[in-house]
Amino acid sequence: MSKRKEQSHRVKVVLQRLREKMNRQMAGSLVACVHCGMCTDSCHYVLANPDDPTYAPAYKADKIRKLFKRHLDWTGRVFPWWVKAEGIYSDEDLEELKDTVFGKCTNCRRCSLNCPMGVDMATFNRMARGLLVSVGIMPEGVAVVSKDQWEIGNQMGVLKEDYLETLEWMSEELRDELGDPQFTIPVDRTDCEIVYAINPREVKYDPRTIADAAKIFYLTGENWTMPSDCWDMTNFGLFSGDDELGGAVARRLYEKVIELRGKKLVMSECGHGYRSTRCEAPNWAQFDVPFEMESSVITMLRYISEGRIRVDKTRNTEPVTFHDSCNNARSCGMFEEPRELLKLVVTDFREMYPNRAENFCCTGGGGAMSMSEYTPRRLKSARIKAEQLRATGAKIVATSCHNCVDGLTDLIRHYELDMEVTQLVNLVANAVIVEKKVAVPAAGPPKPAPLAGKTILVADDEPDQVAWLSTLFADHGAKVVEACDGDQALELARTHKPDLLTLDLAMPGKSAGEVFELIRREPQLADLKVCVISGRPELRKTIYDRSVKPPEGYLDKPVTEERVLRSVRKVLELAHDDGK
Amino acid sequence: MEKKEFGGKLIEVDEDGFIQDPDAWDENVARDLAKTEGVEEMTEDHWKVVNYLREYYLQYQMAPMIRKLCKTTGFKLKEIYDLFPSGPAKGACKVAGLPKPTGCV
Repeated sequence: MSKRKEQSHRVKVVLQRLREKMNRQMAGSLVACVHCGMCTDSCHYVLANPDDPTYAPAYKADKIRKLFKRHLDWTGRVFPWWVKAEGIYSDEDLEELKDTVFGKCTNCRRCSLNCPMGVDMATFNRMARGLLVSVGIMPEGVAVVSKDQWEIGNQMGVLKEDYLETLEWMSEELRDELGDPQFTIPVDRTDCEIVYAINPREVKYDPRTIADAAKIFYLTGENWTMPSDCWDMTNFGLFSGDDELGGAVARRLYEKVIELRGKKLVMSECGHGYRSTRCEAPNWAQFDVPFEMESSVITMLRYISEGRIRVDKTRNTEPVTFHDSCNNARSCGMFEEPRELLKLVVTDFREMYPNRAENFCCTGGGGAMSMSEYTPRRLKSARIKAEQLRATGAKIVATSCHNCVDGLTDLIRHYELDMEVTQLVNLVANAVIVEKKVAVPAAGPPKPAPLAGKTILVADDEPDQVAWLSTLFADHGAKVVEACDGDQALELARTHKPDLLTLDLAMPGKSAGEVFELIRREPQLADLKVCVISGRPELRKTIYDRSVKPPEGYLDKPVTEERVLRSVRKVLELAHDDGK
Repeated sequence: MEKKEFGGKLIEVDEDGFIQDPDAWDENVARDLAKTEGVEEMTEDHWKVVNYLREYYLQYQMAPMIRKLCKTTGFKLKEIYDLFPSGPAKGACKVAGLPKPTGCV
């Protein structure tokens, strides 16, 4: 037997922490792998480096798995040779682990999705990063950013006065454009509907996205504010695996929104920030968040569908494709909303394949843009993304994540693609109509019978819902026809020729999607406007994936009287210049 | 870290092409760095931006806010992007010999 090897101090700390951090999901993932190889084909690193097995997710996972087997799992104590249990001893071993967990994986979770055993590689890769960070082993870029986030409160060390001065600067720029000399970006207003938080990069290097968002909020008449401090919605804790940092950063933002008594926190387009703040950090911070949290993509889509802003898509005519950020899409399920929004504001939308949950990483994820030492690997693995982008034939790639913006910009240059990267807010702000503000009164006494002379067909299989909507429309002067399933809706549409159909998506009989398409394809029903009212957002695609003109209105249940009435009036009273 | 030739001398750059030693910077180095960022010719306007970035960096060891850059040089945001297509953080800072900005950039 060889002499028992000594563990370095750092290794001891790492192993102690491994025991503390282990939970059932991670243990499950660590024992479940059967080395079937499904994950290899799903990883962009592997696809771009087919001859290098060290990029295979299962290989990378084994670096962590061997520690688990050696130190925590009983199998490793009984027959270590069989389960490949192996210890680590020196700081060099830790450096080697760093090279794998920071330098060969962006935590994009594409392999997790494609694993038949449900092994969540990214979860324990992140944990392993956290173990190393706890003993000070991490790429320098990660260390610098984490320090700024701990000490100054935002990841780019932006001081409060500089932040406020930049907001004032953007306000000045907007005054002319909006024709309102009084305009100013509201700061620290209390009791607002929306508190808007951003990524520090916007304020430090490119505040055009702040101005664009402010323009949209202004035109909707939204009651909104930005916080004067604790405004950073990004979170390097997600990348570094440091739950303490993650929790501390998010807690500041949560507490700020509570201090301002904001009703909803809206976050600008940043994938990791959205995922951290909305989905992960309540656990890291052990915080019960008492307000709603939303991505600005969903906010903008709501504004358009509720008629609070009008857009002219002919202002964005270049072919546009959409890149799903791993954090927004794969991890948070935001698939359809950005596409719906894009189709409303650009004339030529082209899907990228694969897409949604199956999309490939931008290659800048997991904090990779802050780790220069791995840039050559990143750019080499980006070949997969470059091919995907090139195949779309688009000139613009839109994405809802700052990391993706930079990752894509870098690879577009490296692979000499003729493309630009932009965010959805830029496209929406460019398409939004400033001159003619929509002035459907949101509240106050309605005009006498605003729906007089209109016939509305209400299609819904819940009798209560039908009765509620019918009463509401009839009270405002409309003639109402009721249908309780898809077939009846179609028949009544043909016989009664209504002005508007309100369509529930989950009904018996013919599916709502089919009914919608049949209506759109029937020349006699060309003037019939459609407003979808549905409680099942996952069914949106059954409407929007069809190659017919999209519905004029879309409302998510539960709905209020005010929202229904405003949307219906918007649909009926305003011309739709959506280019179709 | 590898060395590359800029302005007739071998200079250490990181994997993203940012020079590591600010003292190695001079105007000839800047001209060559500019070419890597899609700026073929450094005009007076380019120098105005680059010189300000460098002065600020030497004084504070960090890149200035874009607000400060625009205010001091008198350029509008859009003009900065016209001058340096890859933007103030990656483009202009690289030409001015600053290290790569940290964080989500």
